Amino acid sequence: MPARLPYAYKYLRAKKKFPHVWCPGCGIGIVMGSIIRAIDSLGWDLDDILMVSGIGCTSRMPVYVDFNTLHTTHGRALAFGTGAKMANPNLKVLAVMGDGDSMAIGGNHIIHASRRNMDITAIIVNNNNYGMTGGQFSPTTPQGAKTSTTPYGMIEPDFDICELTKAAGANYVARGDVYHVIELDGIVKNALSGSGFRVVEALAPCPTNFGRANRQGDAVNMMELLRDNTINIAQAKKLPEEKTEGKIVRGVFVDRDEIGYIERYRKLCDRVSAEVKK
Amino acid sequence: MSEKPIKGQTKEEHCETEVKKRPAVHIFPEWCKGCGICVAFCPKQVLEMGKDQKAHVVYPEKCIECALCARRCPEFAVYVSGDSIKEGKKKNGGEK
Repeated sequence: MPARLPYAYKYLRAKKKFPHVWCPGCGIGIVMGSIIRAIDSLGWDLDDILMVSGIGCTSRMPVYVDFNTLHTTHGRALAFGTGAKMANPNLKVLAVMGDGDSMAIGGNHIIHASRRNMDITAIIVNNNNYGMTGGQFSPTTPQGAKTSTTPYGMIEPDFDICELTKAAGANYVARGDVYHVIELDGIVKNALSGSGFRVVEALAPCPTNFGRANRQGDAVNMMELLRDNTINIAQAKKLPEEKTEGKIVRGVFVDRDEIGYIERYRKLCDRVSAEVKK
Repeated sequence: MSEKPIKGQTKEEHCETEVKKRPAVHIFPEWCKGCGICVAFCPKQVLEMGKDQKAHVVYPEKCIECALCARRCPEFAVYVSGDSIKEGKKKNGGEK
């Protein structure tokens, strides 16, 4: 009997739900592994963590992990997470969302969570389409890519999740991918261990829908595409522009230390209660 | 490890080879869905796909315990014994 992952029984609901629902080669499992390894290295108590999700493939993640979990309506993970954080500021709130969940129907929530600098870590798994419902295009589908609802190629330009949240005022914005998994581990760990609104975009393959529609091959081929088509931000700065053209830059884009919403709210409460006592 | 030392081999050498032979990587077949990521990206080609469409440990003596297979396994079906899974960059084998 081979020994299973030593942390499997601690962090996963291993006896009930495995093997999980995601397709063979789906990157969401790798991102979930990164989150678990990050939490393991931070040594947090499982009862202090709240994992919130909306609807979609990625949003199945809370089913498998043994934290406090909340599976909410489509796109509203951050809205519910904000409520939970305000009610109990001691919780470490972690919102896992897909690209459709966070950018399309929950687009407004992510902008305003960034603006407020709400103390939540948002992990956005970007697989370029709506995987669960059959591979429709999402706001992050690259221009020209084929999906089941754009059979002749996507004509709309796509959202850059990192640029959007950076401009809206998030404290920490970083992009990783599931091929460079050690880098992703580090990014997720940094994202979890700070204040303010912290965003991680994790690029992941969807071999069943996006890969099949665009003839990108199986999971291994899609992982190779991630390896070849992404470049680290430190390397990208050194190279001339011709060599980095068309490549997705990964790495940490913003690491600010602004005061988060909870801290500001606490200060407000202190100030007002002091005024009332006078 | 009950094998006797081969002739001409000192006890230390024997112990060393025995340690190397010990499989560090384990596959949990009930959870494996056969995506082939661990097999394709193992820097030392320790793993191979079997006829049952699941990954198998074929050359355990080659394993350098970089644990990239365990990190990249989406199914949590690979386990690498040893501490390298938490250490990170110390032994990363093939990540470019």
